[in-house]
Amino acid sequence: MKIISKVTVLVFCLCAYLTFSSSAAAKIYIDIDAPSFQQFPIAICDLQPPTASTEKTTESGIAMADEIKNYLSMTGIFNILNKKSFLEDKDLSMVAAAENIYFPNWAMIGADYLLRGNITKINNEIFVESRLYDVTRGELLFSKKYNSKNNELKKVARMVASDILFTLTGDEGEFNTKIAFVSKNKSDADICTINYDGSEIKNVTNHKSIVIGPRWSPDGRYLAFTSYRDGRPEIYVRDLRNGNDKKMASFEGLNLCGSFSPDGNKLLLTLSKDGNEEIYILEIDTMKLKRISHNYSIDVSPTWSPDGGKIAFVSNRSGSPQIFIMDVDGNNTKRITFEGNYNTSPSWSPRGGRIAYEGLVNGKFQIFSIDEEGNNLLQLTFDNAKNEYPSWSPSGRQIAYSSKINSKNKICIMNANGLNIRVLIERANSSLMPSWSPRFK
Amino acid sequence: MKKNMTLIVFLVLTAFSAAFITGCAEKNTIVKDETVQEQKAPAAEEQAAPTPVLQEQSAKAEPATTTEVSIRDINFDFDQSSIRPDAREILKANADILLKKGAAKITIEGYCDERGTAEYNMALGERRAQEAKKYLVNLGVKTSQIITISYGEERPLDPGHDEDAWAKNRRAHFAVNGK
Repeated sequence: MKIISKVTVLVFCLCAYLTFSSSAAAKIYIDIDAPSFQQFPIAICDLQPPTASTEKTTESGIAMADEIKNYLSMTGIFNILNKKSFLEDKDLSMVAAAENIYFPNWAMIGADYLLRGNITKINNEIFVESRLYDVTRGELLFSKKYNSKNNELKKVARMVASDILFTLTGDEGEFNTKIAFVSKNKSDADICTINYDGSEIKNVTNHKSIVIGPRWSPDGRYLAFTSYRDGRPEIYVRDLRNGNDKKMASFEGLNLCGSFSPDGNKLLLTLSKDGNEEIYILEIDTMKLKRISHNYSIDVSPTWSPDGGKIAFVSNRSGSPQIFIMDVDGNNTKRITFEGNYNTSPSWSPRGGRIAYEGLVNGKFQIFSIDEEGNNLLQLTFDNAKNEYPSWSPSGRQIAYSSKINSKNKICIMNANGLNIRVLIERANSSLMPSWSPRFK
Repeated sequence: MKKNMTLIVFLVLTAFSAAFITGCAEKNTIVKDETVQEQKAPAAEEQAAPTPVLQEQSAKAEPATTTEVSIRDINFDFDQSSIRPDAREILKANADILLKKGAAKITIEGYCDERGTAEYNMALGERRAQEAKKYLVNLGVKTSQIITISYGEERPLDPGHDEDAWAKNRRAHFAVNGK
């Protein structure tokens, strides 16, 4: 009996292994991190005037519902049902007057969740009440009130979307995040930031030089990067509160910036001061430097694991650039990528477990992800663009990357399984090396 | 009981290695393609000569003026930093010029083609400059005379997007800092 169960387990493992390994070749969506595998079907009703009123649906009610839908669709985990399919709500005033929902009508069109709400506008202030229902159970999940003094529809919509996300997933999503990137005009580059919803592009630096690889501190206050402002590659940390740059490393030869440690106290660097490119840890307060890689090959692009225990990096010690993992003390180095002969730009999922990177397939760069053991490889992008520099969202559900085809330069966001691609920014200037911020308070 | 388990483990391992071998076979084909592509490179690269455009760029980045036109660039194979046979000759000639000039400081600039990752190419460009430096030092140029800088893929000599352009762009340039 015991043996049979063991055999079953082994056979199951083998099947799982074969399924996963074949997914490298074909686009098969079996991904432990795949939220869209079970996108939440949700019906969002236009917001109604308050219960007592006899008015019909107002423009602001429709606009608010559209904004909420817009924000929810950005997360990539909602299947937003077309309101034309709604069976109820034919007589709007009736429904608004009494919140008697006939749930089977919503279940019939495939909705698992239903959002209803009211909106009133007094002078320039808007008051919104929203109620989220679980259709299958027929119960109210939350009822919340919001208001905005300056008629900020988008802001309220974002709060409603965030509450829906929190209720269904346990985290507030990425609505309060930014993406830093390198904006390059001919040979001059600088760092910019853009909001998750595509609004507010801001210039952060004014170096007009070669600038590469921005990395956020875990508190979102600092950006570390490499810049040639003073004629050679040196590492800077920008304090976003006061706009000051501090030079962190300017050793002879190459100084390249890696990621911050999860506690924000240390910074990973690549330096060539000892004769070849090695990985170092810099203690930010004391400026104490510790070398952790010891190999005659190129070691570059170090990135910390979310638990702080490991470092992923790129090395060409086996003849071509590949992704490796080592302990923070430099021990237990292990190669994790074996497909293809050019794999770089590792980025560690904040939820742990998986590493995204870019790899060369048939002459094109594509985004992949792989687990820490080097198993379960997934190819995430498949188009003809040069897809590079993956960076995970704080929830680990999405990945930002740059995508360049001909003269079109885009930064895109996709779900961790490669689905639901959204163009965040598209400009004539090159937009490269996106780096996803932590959540801002 | 124990015997049965061993058998099962063996079977599973066999299946795994079968999958692995298939994987390896695919990988080899890719590597082969790459090699074929690379072998075309040297012919195109020999035509590549340093142009004044590059010298302007290096002067901008470093407070240096390049005075010696007879010091030539060397080229590299894709994703490689080893000194090619054709580059050895050039380096020998360059070293002779430098040794005659005595204590002149030189900056070796390492460059890559546009393919690949900006960050990795920064490291590769540095490595190319370092390899060229080592070669010159072996030929008698003083270490203290030479500094290295990598521009990665950021300052292509030829803005094209084909193997001709790439071959020219994978280079080490020697800027002699005049006094």
